[in-house]
Amino acid sequence: MAAEKNHIDRITLFVVLILMVTSTVVVYSASSTWALQKMQSASGLVNKHITKILIGLVVMFFAINIDYKKYKPLTKWVLIASIMLLVFTSLTGGEIKGAARWLSIGGFSLQPSEIAKFALLFHLAYLLSNKREKLADFKTGFVPLLIWIGSVVVLVMLQPNFSTGAMIFMLGMMMIYIGGARMKHVLLSLTALLPALLVYMISAPYRMKRILTFVGFGSDETVTTTANYQLMQGIIGFGNGGIFGVGMGMSKQRDLFLPESYGDFIFSIVGEEYGIIGTMIFMGLFLTILLRGLKIAKYAPDDFGKYLAIGITSTVILYAIANALVTLGLAPTTGVPMPFVSYGGTAIIFSSFAVGVLLNISSQTDLHPRERQFVESPALKPEPAVGKIY
Amino acid sequence: MWNPFAKKTEQTNDTPQQKDYKHRLLIVKILFLMAFAAAAARLVQIQVIESGIYQEIARKQYEARVPLVAQRGNIYDRNGNILVTNSDFVSFAADPAIAGDDARFIAHEFSKVTGKPEREYIAKLQTKKRFVWLERHLRPDVAELIPLKKMGGIVKMNEAVRLYHHDEVAGQVLGATNIDNTGVSGIEQQFNDVLRGLDGYVIMQKDGLGRQRPSVDYPREEAVNGHSIELTIDLQYQSIADEELKKGVARSQAEAGLVVMLRPQTGEVLAMSNYPHVNLNKIEHADLLKNRVVSDMYEPGSVFKIVTASAALQHDLVTLEKKFYAENGKYKIEYPGKRIRFINDTHPMRDVTFLEGMAYSSNIVMAKVSDLIGPEKLYKQARDFGFGMPTGIELPAEISGQLKKTSEWSLASLNSIAYGYEVGVTPLQIVSAYAAVANDGILMKPYIVQRERDENGQEVFAGEPVMIRRVIPKNVNEQMKKMFESVVEYGTGSMVKILGVRIAGKTGTARKYIDGKYEVGSYNASFVGFFPVEKPEIVCLVILEKPKAGYTGALASAPIFKAITDRIINNSGLLAKTMIAEQNVTTTAVLKTVNDGTVSIPDVAEKDAEDAVGILKQSGLAAKMIGTGDEVVRQYPPAGKKVERGSIVQLMMNENEHAVAASATKIPDVRGMSVRRAVNKLAAEQLGVSIVGTGVVVNQFPSPGTTIKQGTKVTVMCEPKAITTAQLY
Repeated sequence: MAAEKNHIDRITLFVVLILMVTSTVVVYSASSTWALQKMQSASGLVNKHITKILIGLVVMFFAINIDYKKYKPLTKWVLIASIMLLVFTSLTGGEIKGAARWLSIGGFSLQPSEIAKFALLFHLAYLLSNKREKLADFKTGFVPLLIWIGSVVVLVMLQPNFSTGAMIFMLGMMMIYIGGARMKHVLLSLTALLPALLVYMISAPYRMKRILTFVGFGSDETVTTTANYQLMQGIIGFGNGGIFGVGMGMSKQRDLFLPESYGDFIFSIVGEEYGIIGTMIFMGLFLTILLRGLKIAKYAPDDFGKYLAIGITSTVILYAIANALVTLGLAPTTGVPMPFVSYGGTAIIFSSFAVGVLLNISSQTDLHPRERQFVESPALKPEPAVGKIY
Repeated sequence: MWNPFAKKTEQTNDTPQQKDYKHRLLIVKILFLMAFAAAAARLVQIQVIESGIYQEIARKQYEARVPLVAQRGNIYDRNGNILVTNSDFVSFAADPAIAGDDARFIAHEFSKVTGKPEREYIAKLQTKKRFVWLERHLRPDVAELIPLKKMGGIVKMNEAVRLYHHDEVAGQVLGATNIDNTGVSGIEQQFNDVLRGLDGYVIMQKDGLGRQRPSVDYPREEAVNGHSIELTIDLQYQSIADEELKKGVARSQAEAGLVVMLRPQTGEVLAMSNYPHVNLNKIEHADLLKNRVVSDMYEPGSVFKIVTASAALQHDLVTLEKKFYAENGKYKIEYPGKRIRFINDTHPMRDVTFLEGMAYSSNIVMAKVSDLIGPEKLYKQARDFGFGMPTGIELPAEISGQLKKTSEWSLASLNSIAYGYEVGVTPLQIVSAYAAVANDGILMKPYIVQRERDENGQEVFAGEPVMIRRVIPKNVNEQMKKMFESVVEYGTGSMVKILGVRIAGKTGTARKYIDGKYEVGSYNASFVGFFPVEKPEIVCLVILEKPKAGYTGALASAPIFKAITDRIINNSGLLAKTMIAEQNVTTTAVLKTVNDGTVSIPDVAEKDAEDAVGILKQSGLAAKMIGTGDEVVRQYPPAGKKVERGSIVQLMMNENEHAVAASATKIPDVRGMSVRRAVNKLAAEQLGVSIVGTGVVVNQFPSPGTTIKQGTKVTVMCEPKAITTAQLY
């Protein structure tokens, strides 16, 4: 088994491929009516989605074959570049839905926040692997990292894209914590989000309403607001699916009842068409990614690999679970896509790249150190064979 | 290994740093797992525990119950002429949530077509509702102009709208419907449930925009179209009434007026006209919809003398020849308590008979007669005529009028009521009372619906004559007729005289009682009459409100009555024929050449063709024969009418008559027979029977000898034998 040390983690790869393939089926069903409405073609949106998936696959296989250590010297400059890109889009970026979140390059709409997120993640992994011993110290270790995180988060929030900013902030904090920062420093920093949240709420009345409704102070009138309508329709989708679902391609919520049925609310369509069996399988797939990713992080050969694996896994899982919680009404309604599944433009390509990097790390990691021990000292009891299917 | 809480005993050789790292990793892992657990729990809650609730919500929002609107029934006149049908109009509704994005464009396009300002539409499109009417009831060709395909969120619907074929003819009778096609007045209101039918529904699948498509999986209930209604109204008579009323109102500068025509033998309403007319296709004032024939009461004045006279005659208190002193037009009455009152006559007279008193409409004579009758008998007679009670006609908002009980009468009431004051009557009550006189003293319930058919044309209801009671004994009734005929012959109503037709009638002029006092110069002028006296076909009442050019019934209303009668006699061949037959004219043609070049048409009915043409030539008239055969069946214009010399007289020949009435039969005389015998006899002639009352047949309609189609119903009116023998023969 030790000889197969250099294999990539096939489970993770397999799970991601399953997600990608099923997403085309679900997105097709969820988007057909909307596509017909917007583009006079039922397959208009799914075709775009498939294109992104294919590009993502190519990018992923490239990333698998690039030694992750080679990114080390680049992280700082990529991060600086992406911060500048953020500044650039904030100043000039094409406005979509009143927020400068998108940058259009050659037909592709790039989300600079997406680039910045991964750039930050890479650079944090680099910094953590270098300065781990200083991290316990607030001034010399913690604050410099916080400055990087803060600059990205603030810029993203100013776009304005509060939810992505908050997600990035949480991601950063999580990485710093695992890197050895003190819990009290992390919690202290998280409290810094509160004033930002306050400013954010006050700056736009609809947000205030949304959050108040979520907390339970909303008046009946707010039920008719778009966000609540969408959430309600999303939950109706889940509920209508019941245990076994209404069947593949039989969703009715997608018939213009559920806005964004193919985007942020795709999980509801999964629930409607495939029931709780479908949603639990999807949850299981992401859970697998979590467990495999953390395992890779645990045994990665060097610190950079460990932190990178943590960062990538956390990003994917944080988005997945946040998306699920939002669509289920357990978190305030905000635009968080479900990685690999939601129709979502370039996010798929970036996620694919990230997973490719994760898989590259896995290929340099011995995920079963005890089995090696077993070979070396046969006196030890044999472990259950879970995870040995490859 | 998959258990995150498993003890990791093998990692004893880790550095403290590694230990710390793995510890922290474990914490993050646990946090994530908690989030997963929360989501999973929520999924179980929504998808398993509460699934039923959401499935119900979902089903409701996917299904739309779309009504299949039943077609409202048509309304016809007695001869099957269409009065009211439906026509399809197009309405546009919008879902502002979707159409709001295109509001400017949509508003612009609609504005272009309808000419309304754009902001009106924009305001509608910016509401928060999911459904607004943008435009209702556009003509289909106009609706075509709207480029619907370029607009989102606009729904086009076909909506049926009532179409009144004759605009204002019988407007108040037919009544109006509101924008939702619900009857709000007249027949439309009274028979709304019948006309409306039963809407069906189909359940459609719906998407988030409210767009629907039919689904075979769902139940469907077909609409049951409304029933059609045939009125007893005769379109021809109604049109004549409407036209002549309009002219008459203009002539006498009245504020308003009305005409009612009944068939006395049955109580069928032949025409009911209110002026100002209301054009139901374009209603200007909702007030105009009120049918004052049943919904308004007025003080009748002299026309109410029918009650006084009939009461006095049937209790043998007077005879037609009984002399009265008419006080030379001014009658001073002293009531106990030194209250003095004057009754005036417009025609001052001294010694008159009772008959003359009626002919010249003497209030004084009637007041004196009423003293003979006394309150109880007078009240009972008025009650018997149906005053103070609704007639029960199938029209909405009928009022009962006002007939005070004798206990509420003042000292002056008896005298006042005798000539038509201190009572409130509806025009329909008055015309019904005169119809009773025209119908040998039997009061019939007026009715206006002849037949009701379901959507397949199956008859579901037939209006039948309903006898209420005998109001006047037969022998007394003849005297009543004579009195009313004398009114026309030489009395106050003499201006309605038409050569060759015996008309009976009564004028009435009453001061309008407004806000507790009689207004000066404000009168209701009425004339009510029937013709031909020997076999009355039509009873007609004309009332004008506040006529200025000649305020009396004789001056204002009688001319309208005359004009209507004139036209009906001239237009209705059948009527002319029966009248001419009754007149029993067997003499040779009467040549009446008048100096001014007009001639009176001689009667040539039942003559040989050659003879008829010869007679007409003698009078300087040309003849035109219609049909073949050698005997003239009827002529037009009818005999007695003055026409210009050289006019053409149309002669209907007998062969033609036979051709038309192939299955026609003559009605046998069943009067005096028992009901059973009468039915058998009529059935033998292939005729239907509708029976009114019980006992022995006292009257029949149409009258014996009339030629009618087989299968037609003959109405026989019966009375118990005892009364018949005692009072009729």
